[in-house]
Amino acid sequence: MMFRATLPRLARQIARTVPRYQAPIARPLTRSSLLQSRRITPAFQAARCYSAHSGLSHEEVQGRIMDLLKNFDKIQDTSKLNGESHFHNDLGLDSLDTVEVVMAIEEEFSIEIPDKEADAIHSVKQAVDYILAQPDAH
Amino acid sequence: MPRLSGLQKDVLSFYRECLRAVRQKQSDTRENFRAFARSEFRKNIGINKKDFGTIEYLLRNGRRKLETYQDPGIRNISR
Repeated sequence: MMFRATLPRLARQIARTVPRYQAPIARPLTRSSLLQSRRITPAFQAARCYSAHSGLSHEEVQGRIMDLLKNFDKIQDTSKLNGESHFHNDLGLDSLDTVEVVMAIEEEFSIEIPDKEADAIHSVKQAVDYILAQPDAH
Repeated sequence: MPRLSGLQKDVLSFYRECLRAVRQKQSDTRENFRAFARSEFRKNIGINKKDFGTIEYLLRNGRRKLETYQDPGIRNISR
């Protein structure tokens, strides 16, 4: 029967191809892999390369900040939320809310933003630019 | 947003300090502390920004409260 003949061949083929496949978790995060899938934030990363630059892309940072703002209870009207939104003029946040947003961004990217710099962040764009300039944000 | 005065910046900086202190609390009650800090600041949102005496008094008062609630012995708070 033809089927019997193909089966071992198929098994050999699989055995040859499988070990070549590398689990994405063991592979260090490179820029190219980030570009392929925008939201590559693994919930669990077995080995983290502390020396390597985290290589956050502009889209990823912006996406994470927008998600955070979408979940912020003070923003009722999310239709004005985009990459250029101003916290006060577009989203209607006051200075206390802005402090909360900046603190939430701190937590999201595990960094600490000094008062002086935090006071200067008033829009999504400014926040994205700030995070991209931080080498230890991830 | 209009430029902020030094005192306004102090208030925002103190708000930040409070929110940082909230992070030190245990995760199950953290939201209660956050809600408390939020409501304490919101209570006085209507104060005229030129009313320096009142704002300074509230800041002093707030700092004392922060010191009290920062104690790890205080595990939960209710509004």
